[in-house]
Amino acid sequence: MAKFTEEMVIDYADKLLIGLTDEEVKMVLDEFEVIDKNISLVNEIPGIEKVEPMTHCLDDFIYELREDVVEESTPIDDILANCDSYLNREVKVPKVVE
Amino acid sequence: MDKYKVLIGLEMHCEISETNTKVFSSAENSYKDEPNSNVRPVDLGFPGTLPVVNKEAVKKALMASIILNCKQPEFIYFERKNYYYPDLPKGFQITQETKPAPVGIYGELEYECNGEMKKARINNIHLEEDAASTDHYSRYSTIDYNRAGVPLLELVTYPDFRSADEAVAFLETMRRIYQYAGISEADSRKGQVRCDVNVSIMDKDLDETKEENWGTKVEIKNVNSFSGVRDAINYEIERQIEAKENGTYDEMEQQTRRWDEASMTTIYMRGKVDAIDYKYFVEPNIPKFKLAESWVEEIRKSIPVLANERKHTYIEEYGLSNYDATILVKEKSISDFYEETIKLGADPKTSSNWMTTVILGHLNKYELEIKDIYLTPEYLVELINLVEKGDISSKQSKEVFYKILEDKKSPSEIVKSLGMKQIGDEDTLRPMIVKIIEEHLDLIEEYRKGRNVFDFFVGQVMKQTRGQANPSLTAKIIKEEIDKR
Amino acid sequence: MKYMTKSIEELHALLKEGKVTSKELIKESLERSHEVQEKYNAFVTILDDAKEVEVTDNLLSGIPYGIKDNYSTKGILSTGSSNTLKDYVPFFTATSIENLEKAGAVAVNKTVLDEFGMGGTGTTGHTGTVLNPWDKERMCAGSSAGSACAVAAGVYPYATGSDTGDSIRKPAAYCGIVGYKPTYGMISRYGLFPFASSLDHAGVLSRNVKDAAIVIDNMKGIDKNDMTTWDSKDVHLYESIDGKVEDKKLCYIKEICDIENYPNASLELKEHLENFNKALEKCKKLGMEVEEVSVDKTLLNALASVYVVISCAEATSNMSNLTGIIFGPRGEGDNYIDMMKNYRTAGFSPLIKRRFVIGSYVLQADNKDRYFHNAQRVRRLLVDTWNKLFEKYDAVILPVGSGPAKLLDGSKTVLEEDDTTALEEHLQIGNFGGFPSITIPDGFVSNLPVGLNITGKCYDDANVLNIAYALESVMDYKDQIAKEVK
Repeated sequence: MAKFTEEMVIDYADKLLIGLTDEEVKMVLDEFEVIDKNISLVNEIPGIEKVEPMTHCLDDFIYELREDVVEESTPIDDILANCDSYLNREVKVPKVVE
Repeated sequence: MDKYKVLIGLEMHCEISETNTKVFSSAENSYKDEPNSNVRPVDLGFPGTLPVVNKEAVKKALMASIILNCKQPEFIYFERKNYYYPDLPKGFQITQETKPAPVGIYGELEYECNGEMKKARINNIHLEEDAASTDHYSRYSTIDYNRAGVPLLELVTYPDFRSADEAVAFLETMRRIYQYAGISEADSRKGQVRCDVNVSIMDKDLDETKEENWGTKVEIKNVNSFSGVRDAINYEIERQIEAKENGTYDEMEQQTRRWDEASMTTIYMRGKVDAIDYKYFVEPNIPKFKLAESWVEEIRKSIPVLANERKHTYIEEYGLSNYDATILVKEKSISDFYEETIKLGADPKTSSNWMTTVILGHLNKYELEIKDIYLTPEYLVELINLVEKGDISSKQSKEVFYKILEDKKSPSEIVKSLGMKQIGDEDTLRPMIVKIIEEHLDLIEEYRKGRNVFDFFVGQVMKQTRGQANPSLTAKIIKEEIDKR
Repeated sequence: MKYMTKSIEELHALLKEGKVTSKELIKESLERSHEVQEKYNAFVTILDDAKEVEVTDNLLSGIPYGIKDNYSTKGILSTGSSNTLKDYVPFFTATSIENLEKAGAVAVNKTVLDEFGMGGTGTTGHTGTVLNPWDKERMCAGSSAGSACAVAAGVYPYATGSDTGDSIRKPAAYCGIVGYKPTYGMISRYGLFPFASSLDHAGVLSRNVKDAAIVIDNMKGIDKNDMTTWDSKDVHLYESIDGKVEDKKLCYIKEICDIENYPNASLELKEHLENFNKALEKCKKLGMEVEEVSVDKTLLNALASVYVVISCAEATSNMSNLTGIIFGPRGEGDNYIDMMKNYRTAGFSPLIKRRFVIGSYVLQADNKDRYFHNAQRVRRLLVDTWNKLFEKYDAVILPVGSGPAKLLDGSKTVLEEDDTTALEEHLQIGNFGGFPSITIPDGFVSNLPVGLNITGKCYDDANVLNIAYALESVMDYKDQIAKEVK
């Protein structure tokens, strides 16, 4: 595992489509240091690797899957009500180059 | 080529078209011309919306998993594949990436390639959602979310194919499975089937069962037809061999390319270092679903008869040739039509002849599907019976066939309207023939000298009956009458 | 006039007797909303055109309430207190709010939160900081800051909240009111803007336990749009409260409650813990058994980091739908990447952006096991530990935070560590396990309210509420209204 560096913070932010100021980059690293320290302690818990990661609150949850019944489509006026750019019934974006 | 072995693996994406609703939303699962006309809030990623798993989509996915001899998981759950793209409204795709999430892992499938049985190992098959579709214009793109959330099955094989032929034969087999099992139309013209192909080559004398001997893997993305798969593989093999030959192969990195239909080449997209980290994690909004053994069994029992079994029946029970049987099962709609005629009492061989020659010939010529033409199994059986009873000649029957399609009428109606009914009874024909022979007794002499006068008499009978005399019966009576004299 | 300081039961009786009308209540609540907005900045939107409804036998009918602004409300601005959604008017209403509407509840405003519920100070909403109605120099805590402030300030008897780490239960303590999040899946999350889906709970802020029970009875229910909901039609929280707790057993945790853990304890912390001990005495007087238990300190110390890792990871994914393409103000840009990036950079507050980066880092293939999966493993160990306690005890009772509301000046949104981390953050365990968990006020420190928390096992909400109700009944902090002490 590579150390979390300034360059990585900037790269991740970029991939998340957000910009960070220099100060924010530094804050990320400071916060991360706290997390990293604690996670290091966690890694020392005996047998930790054998514990099954908990992904949901209710492990033993019993439920039914949805029946395959169609519900009506959202009206086009609702779909586009909050959209700043559309053309006829479609959402318009700058040209997506493949 | 002789110096190298080729390893090809496939990722086949196929939309499940045979559910009413999408996989995580109750919007209709159907192709619609009008954009954004089958969408629910969750398909657009509106804040606070949640996925709800469609039981029927899971059932169909499990059926595919069973057919592929995969192992089904104890719990079904989903994961998020995170990336940004305008056609992905939530900013992630719900999928099943990490084992044991997929609906099926570690299976295998037998398929036939150029008459030989082959086996391909399946790494996994998983259920996921499709993205929206985008139209591109000169300065902007537009997004239609009708396709967003359509259930998609992704099948991942091991690199078990040694040629483009094998890969395509496998894909054809899979397409039939999806069709016959009622999972999908699997129509690549509708964009329902899309493939990623990975290709590598290695020296022929090395052991391909050892992974360290494998060459550099090149993945080719977004190949949208089987012919494209064939072309892309063959192009890529050539390209890699050339690299071997000119000594640049060792510089070649593991990479992702895309197939460009227009130039018929593969184009570099990204190398290994630029591989996207999709940050997969378990979808928290879908609780783990305990898969009941009894449900899997129920699904297993409900699997319809598939193409290979049908083909077997055609050969073993109906006595068709392997060639004809193969043609008949290629499309499920054709095979269904054929079986319907058998059920209605048609002779399997006769019906097969009709199907494989006249009917498929017509469909292929005009690029039609069987449902597009006015012929029903009932009409075909009727047509066959007319010939068998001798009401019309087999030559006439072809004419009737095209007339059915043209006039959209039943065979008997056509026969009637064309005044085509054959004269097949002896009581009408014999006196007519006797009369003709008696008028041409000189020809009997010639006949005895060895001249062929048969055609003349037949011609005369046809002339008098305006071609409606049953040819074989006519010939039989002529022979008898000549021999009598 | 002065009805909005009353309880739901009292208001319902008055409405039924015809002593007041729904219209009058709404008028008072709206007037009070404007005053509170002026003073404490608690609302994103005040619904001045709120209409009275018919008073039925439903206890909530005709009575005003507030909605945290991360609940989707049809035709009403719903921002999540984020610039990314500053003009977003949804076309559908969250299921739980629809349920309240059906009960006849009347929404009068949308309350400020920390942006998308991420943060515990009430300072990161796009409309600015929410001030504590007891002391304007202090925070309400968050993220349900506006809801806590408004309920404490007597705008209405209750407001909805949401709770991912402690977002209902901490602000309730800082504002001297009740905050309750029921078992995970009892209330639908459909239409609740997600922060971290596996931890997010809907819930309520009120001024007494019975009111909280009444509201959740009306918000809850299995929902076909939320697969994590379960059928609770046989659960009747309000009716099941009888105050009988003689045979109940409670435990508290030494590693959190013992003053010996805090060698540099402030005076406020000391008073807070003493106050908590007094509450324990009251529990014993009620006939409950109260025992001290010990849990693994390593797990407790890891708590906050585990929470940050899991919640940031889920959040970065949950908020990937915020691109400005289908909704939200379009970003500038000649290509879609610039367009999304400009929208996101301008729309999100610095805190969220930093958390996204951390969430992204811990999910990277190379880091996932060490950070994300290990965090999920510790989550399980903590939940198992608590479930073990629930085998023997009806509930775990603990003090909330390390004292009263913190000063806004110098408040931090940065994750830091000191010896009070477990004390500050233990409420997150309720989210890890989906446990029913309620905070009630238990006294004053420096003239400011402080609270305690009662958490029970999943699906055992009635028991938890009943214990809270019994304890509330023998303390003097029920139905208290904030009065500025400074």
